This record gives sequence, structure tokens and C-alpha cells, in this order.
Amino acid sequence: MTAKSKYSTQASSPIVSSLGHHKEAMQYSLLRLWHSPLSTWITLAAIAIALSLPASLHLFLKNLKSLTDDKRQVPTISLFIKQNISEQQARDRGELLQEMDEIDKVVMIPRDEALADFRKIYNFDEALETLGKNPLPHVLVITPHIKLLGDPEMDMKKLAKKLESYSEVDLVQMDIEWVQRLRGILRITERVILIISILLALTVLLVIGNTIRLNIENRKEEIEVSKLIGATTAYIRRPFLYTGIWYGLFGGIISLVLVHVALLFLVTPVNDLAKLYASNFALSGLGIKNTIYILLVSSFLGLIGSWLAVGKHLKEI
Amino acid sequence: MIEFKSVSKQYPTGQLALYNVNFKLQQGEMAFLTGQSGAGKSTLLKLIALLEIATEGDVFISGQNIHSIKKRQVPAYRRNIGMIFQDHHLLADRTVFENIALPLKIEGMRPQDINRRVRAALDKVNLSKKEKEYPMMLSAGEKQRVGIARAVVNKPSIILADEPTGNLDPDLALDIMHTFKQFNEYGSTVLIASHDHHLIKEMRKRILVLQKVKK
Repeated sequence: MTAKSKYSTQASSPIVSSLGHHKEAMQYSLLRLWHSPLSTWITLAAIAIALSLPASLHLFLKNLKSLTDDKRQVPTISLFIKQNISEQQARDRGELLQEMDEIDKVVMIPRDEALADFRKIYNFDEALETLGKNPLPHVLVITPHIKLLGDPEMDMKKLAKKLESYSEVDLVQMDIEWVQRLRGILRITERVILIISILLALTVLLVIGNTIRLNIENRKEEIEVSKLIGATTAYIRRPFLYTGIWYGLFGGIISLVLVHVALLFLVTPVNDLAKLYASNFALSGLGIKNTIYILLVSSFLGLIGSWLAVGKHLKEI
Repeated sequence: MIEFKSVSKQYPTGQLALYNVNFKLQQGEMAFLTGQSGAGKSTLLKLIALLEIATEGDVFISGQNIHSIKKRQVPAYRRNIGMIFQDHHLLADRTVFENIALPLKIEGMRPQDINRRVRAALDKVNLSKKEKEYPMMLSAGEKQRVGIARAVVNKPSIILADEPTGNLDPDLALDIMHTFKQFNEYGSTVLIASHDHHLIKEMRKRILVLQKVKK
């Protein structure tokens, strides 16, 4: 190969050359997206919608979980005292319970006070009058020593069982029960969201794969010419892979915008609802960690989708 | 430099394109490959460029049997061959400059070297003023010269041209042939497939005649 050696080539070092190829492929693939705005936006919209659904479901789940994960509120146990037990007997039982190591605080709510509150809150005067006598029991609201409990849920149950054994007690109710039920529902919801996410991830793969397939078809001549003049498969493949990554990344960014717009739309009504329940609950966004996670996953899906399409269709040229 | 030893090529369809071809082309030589239409001129060039593989015989380039070249080494091998086609094979969405720069980019050359090399190649084919134009804005002769510039820009040791003057008028065709001669004088081995006998005679170079295989 004399002519080659006669005219020395100034090819860069392999690393510089490889970086140059990557830079060129990144710029070129971006430019191609820019030059075909309609098809690019249609593809990006499809990807963004497919990604925004699992992202918003994840956000919904995250917010629901925050309701159950609130460690600031110490769970309490309500002891409903039998109707035939006097207020004094109930107070005595309350004082005895206060002596127990695992109990931090006992608050007595006499039945008359409960009835007065009930009247005040619900305006049920007339209905209560028809009952003739007060149907409400005395209630002892017990706050356990949460620090003394190893496993709060398990030990609360043990304590509740112990309290149930006292003769004055009619019914024991843990206010943690709703949390447990909600957690059960959340576990199912989590699985459902996982299945939906997998299906939508497959949709993203198919959308990107098909777009890349069409790109390859449109650039068949360019690929043939590149092969003729000595382009490696990696060189030919690279711009398509970057195109897939851009689709995934930009689709991910648009989906995040969609999710946060929807979130802004919900903030006011959710805050109003929370106020009605005297709760401090406020909707939270995805946060930096989840945002980065979604962008990484969407870019990765783009890469995989394009890799599969390129692997299959480049061989045919 | 280029040596064919008992080379035959039969396509999967059963068509026998070449049968028992033997020739040797010295390094730095320029030759014309001629023969009837269907005699296998394009097939022979494709065998050298490893776009096709011979079914029998061996092809040697610089003493190396090219059939022993591994698949992953083929792109690097092709970078030492400049190919020119009758229909140019230029990329319509790239400028003249970008089309010519493509082999250098593939090779991983630095941008400043690419600029210098492309401008030099443009100068050699007299297209310096057309570097920003797109192929559709060029005449057939200009397109062919862009094709030649792209083929020679990375200074290949072998230049293969398949009917490069097929669509050109005689004056332009002669001009293109002189361009090939110029690159041959720089040291490249040039093999041109053509059926233009007048032009071939005028160039006074070695002629390889391919006979059509009789069934």
C-alpha cells in the first residue's frame, strides 16, 4: 500500500478518534431530529405520554405512602368501656393503666363530653334526642411509649390484646388499622403500577425501535455508501443509537413536564381536601432522585430500542 | 499489486459472472478493464473491493490473499481503496465538502486535517468554488469529479472506477480520465472499467479485456 505510506495520514489517536466519532454522531443525530420537526415531535409525544403514565402513577403512590409513613404521629389505642361501667370505675381503670411501663399517656373521654362534642361537630341534636339516652361509651385514649416498642405494629397488637382482657373493656380499636389497610392496598397498587410500567416501557421500546427502523430505511443509501468507503459497523450504528437515546431523554423530559403540570393542577383541590380532614398533607413532586431515575430509564429504553432495531435492520443492508 | 489467479464468480442465482480470470497489475500501474456488457467488469471490481467473494481462485492485493481478511478487518481494507461509480453515489443531503470529507471522518482524522485534505482534493478536481453546494445543484461531470475527489481524498493505494464516464460527453469524459491519470502519477494503482473504446485508446494505457462467459 505504497500510496498510503507515501502520503502519511494524520489520523488522530484511537481515543481521540473515538471521542471525535461520538461527538460527531451526537451532533449529527441531534441535527437530524431538528431537521424533521414534525416526525420528531410526534414520536416524542408518543414516548412522553407512554412515560408520563407510570411516572404519574408512581407519584400518586409516593404521595399515598407519605400518608402512611408519617412517623411524627404516635399511634393511639382507643378503649371503649362497657355501658354498665360508671365514669369513676372507668377513671380508676385509666389510672391503673397509666402505671404500666409501656403506656405513656391515658386520656379519659367521658360519655357526656363525647356526646357534647358529637352534637357540636355534626349538629345531630334532633336525632340524638329521639334516642332518649346517651348511646356513647366512656373512652380511654391510650398513647403507648413508642420508644419502648421494638416493632411498633407487632407490640401494639400485643398491648391491645392485653387491654382487651380487662373486664371493663368492651372494645379495643387501634388507630393504626387504617394505615395497615392502606398499606395493603398500596402493595397491590404497587404491583399494578409495576405491570403497567413494564407494558408501557415495552411500548416505548417499540415506538423507538420502529422510528429507528424507518430512519434506517430512509438512510439506506448513506449506509451503503459509508460501507463502501470503509465505515465500520460501529461507525454506522452510532448515530442511530444516539438518536434512540435522544428520543428517550427528550421523551422523558417532556413526560416530567406533563406530570408536573398535572400536579400543579391538583395542588389546590388536594390542599382543600386535606384541610377538611385537619391534615397537614401536601402533594409532593417527584424530587431530584426520581427525576434523574426517570431520565436515566427513558434514555436507557431509547438506547435499547434503537440497539434492537439497528441490530436487526443494518444486517439487511 | 493486484493479482487474480484462476478466479471465477458464480452468483447464487446460478449466473456465472467470471470464469478463470488471470491477470496481474503492478503497483502504480493504470489499466482499463473492458468487455461486452455483462462480461463481469463490475463483478471483478467488486471482488477487489470485497463487496463480493470469488467462488473459485484467489485475489491478491499487495501480496495478501484478500479472502483471508477477517470480516472485522474489511472496513480498514476498503479505506485503502477509492471507488468511483457511474451514478456517483453522493449523499444528497450533504454538501460537496461534506461528501468528500466522509472517508476522512470515518478514518477519525482531526478537523483541521480534514479541511486541508478536502480543500486539496477539491482543488485537484477544480471544484473549489462548489464546496458549499449540494449534489443536486451540480452537473453530471461535476458530480463525477466530486465522486473522484471523495475516492482519492484519503490517498488510497488503489483506485477502482466503474464506468466513470458513462453519462458524460466526450470532452468531459477525457477530462475525467486525465484526472485519473494525474492520481495515477501520484502513486495510486488505477483500474477503470469502461466500454468507451475511443477514450481507452486515447489514454494509451494497458487494456484488460474480459470475454463474456459462454453458457
